Amino acid sequence: MMSLQSYCVVLFKSVSHAMRAEKILKNDKIPFKIIPVPKSISSECGVCIRFTPEYKEDIEAVLNGTVEYSDIRELH
Amino acid sequence: MNEKIDARGLACPQPVVLAKKSLETRNTVIVIVDNETARENVKRLGEKSGCTVSIEDTENGTFTLTLSKTDTVQPTGDITPVPSSSATGPNVFVISANTMGGGDDELGELLMKAFIHTIFDLDYLPDTLIFYNTGVKLAVKDSDVLDDLKQLEHDGVEILVCGTCANFFNIQDDIAVGIVSNMYDIAGTMSRAGRIVTP
Repeated sequence: MMSLQSYCVVLFKSVSHAMRAEKILKNDKIPFKIIPVPKSISSECGVCIRFTPEYKEDIEAVLNGTVEYSDIRELH
Repeated sequence: MNEKIDARGLACPQPVVLAKKSLETRNTVIVIVDNETARENVKRLGEKSGCTVSIEDTENGTFTLTLSKTDTVQPTGDITPVPSSSATGPNVFVISANTMGGGDDELGELLMKAFIHTIFDLDYLPDTLIFYNTGVKLAVKDSDVLDDLKQLEHDGVEILVCGTCANFFNIQDDIAVGIVSNMYDIAGTMSRAGRIVTP
């Protein structure tokens, strides 16, 4: 469980983008979790990808140019 | 006054059915089984029926279980209400598929992962989570929700995984969380539930 530390989320405009990102990150063996978008954030799509901050650069590198995402945010 | 049941080669839940039937009329029942799941299921039946259970593991992969009723111990499990967050009975979540809703499986799998993660934030935590049919695929060692389920189990949520289903998908050796269970426990838990939530 990562719930007590700060964590990051990748937000998407569409569920299909979240699904594509899920596949890519899984392939690259980057640890992440599919979660509902936290209530404090409004988003067009209801699910997001949650990960620990240490993987932020990896995830950006993998997703940039392959999947459209709207934002990556750090939450506490 | 005791009976010896040779349940080797019988499929789940036959060993439990035979043992349960025999316990209705006898104080001591000896059951021979040839697999771990049957061993655990018969053992649990014995414990729930107020028996002392002794298990002898033999070298050829079979297990001999002796279930002996004790005079002083009242049967538990079937009779004692399970501690619960509601007044009327346990809060039971039934996960009958690895997808949430029907229609699109890929979407359903995504929704189910989000649902399981959300359980932590609910006002009413489940007392028991039951997994059957393709739902059991969520409880395997490479499941995307394994650490959520382990955390729930650690927090005191009982997790029952249908053994027949795990066997059907040939993943019985990969189940990594919860108790591999049988129809008696699953149907019994559902029948005693104060409410059942099915995503």
